[in-house]
Amino acid sequence: MSQPRTILLLNGSPKCERSNSRLIAKFLVEKLEEKGLTSEEFFAAKLLNSSENREKLLKSVDDADLIVLATPLYVDSVPSCTIKLMETIREHRKTINDAGTKLLIAVMNSGFPEKEHMSIALKIVQNFARESNLRWAGGITVGMGGALGHKSLKNGAGMTAKLTKGLSLASTALARGEPIPAEAEDLASKPFLPIFMARSYFRTFGNRTWDKDAKNNGARAEMLARPYEIL
Amino acid sequence: MKAVIFNGTIEDDETIKAIETDLVGQLAKAGWTVEPIELRRTQIAGCLGCFGCWVKTPGMCVIDDFGRETAKKAVQSDLLVWLTPVTFGGYSSELKKALDRLIPNLLPYFDSYHGQIHHKMRYEKQPKLLVIGANSTGEVDEETFLGLTERNALNFRPPKYAAGIFGKRERSEDVHCFVEKLLKRVEVIS
Repeated sequence: MSQPRTILLLNGSPKCERSNSRLIAKFLVEKLEEKGLTSEEFFAAKLLNSSENREKLLKSVDDADLIVLATPLYVDSVPSCTIKLMETIREHRKTINDAGTKLLIAVMNSGFPEKEHMSIALKIVQNFARESNLRWAGGITVGMGGALGHKSLKNGAGMTAKLTKGLSLASTALARGEPIPAEAEDLASKPFLPIFMARSYFRTFGNRTWDKDAKNNGARAEMLARPYEIL
Repeated sequence: MKAVIFNGTIEDDETIKAIETDLVGQLAKAGWTVEPIELRRTQIAGCLGCFGCWVKTPGMCVIDDFGRETAKKAVQSDLLVWLTPVTFGGYSSELKKALDRLIPNLLPYFDSYHGQIHHKMRYEKQPKLLVIGANSTGEVDEETFLGLTERNALNFRPPKYAAGIFGKRERSEDVHCFVEKLLKRVEVIS
């Protein structure tokens, strides 16, 4: 496999620039840029609104050596705009035979602590790679992604230390045109907290955070509302 | 008893059409009211992931479009059917658009369920769930599709659920039997 030169970061999050999936993927992309690769970025939520954007996307796919799909977990899979993006790319790639030279990796982020929530969604992205003649090069799955709070991973300390180390290892392999090593996948996908602590945290502080957010919006008293009558 | 069908067809698909027609027929014969919704003909914006449906307008999406209607119809049904071309081993973008907009029907609060963290239910009663994939293109990842429906069942907690894929090699005359088996599994017909 020749060394990739160009990266296409596909941001599958409807939150676009404010996405934690993007934050994680950007760290990886920046590591690859330090190794001489160039990158461009497209947003699934914005792209498919016009035929012009669609053409732009497909040209970028054609030009890329490495595609990084950054996506959150929505209802056990990827968001609808990401599926639309994948459907569009698959349709385009049907007519292209470049012998699977383009690499695809996934960077997936979920609001739950257990990475098992993402296992099916990761398989869906792998199937997308196979059906689109893209060479699957691994997936990083990050639980508790919301805890990143849109803050940069650059200092690589504290709870993100393993994640950033895993991403750095992944970048070394990807820059050589190799799949992400299992060691890097495992390291980057380690929970931020021991899982028993994370579960306890979610049930206590996590739930209080929802109450606080609702209070800030003047909706605390309505949290348990059932607006639709059961017939 | 009311059934709502979320039809996630992307482009005209004879298999999906045949399955939907048969479903409507068998349910009507059993005395059910059935409402099929072809999602591609509706206006449903993608979920923004803003959690406004949990912390701003609890129980209702902040986007005022047909996505609110599909969430309401899901709550008010006794059987919810998801019908989709199998897409990468999962659901089509059209079906997923409606499913992503069902989260107002859950509460934001976390709890342990089957050994993992999940959201609590907003409503006491949940509809039964039937998920049907149509394979019109060739080899599909059945294991992933069934795995996805299992995970969905953990999150939406239907009292009964079943899932199946109608394969490319099956004959159109087999549709009736395929649908009948699934309806029996969710105990909608006996």
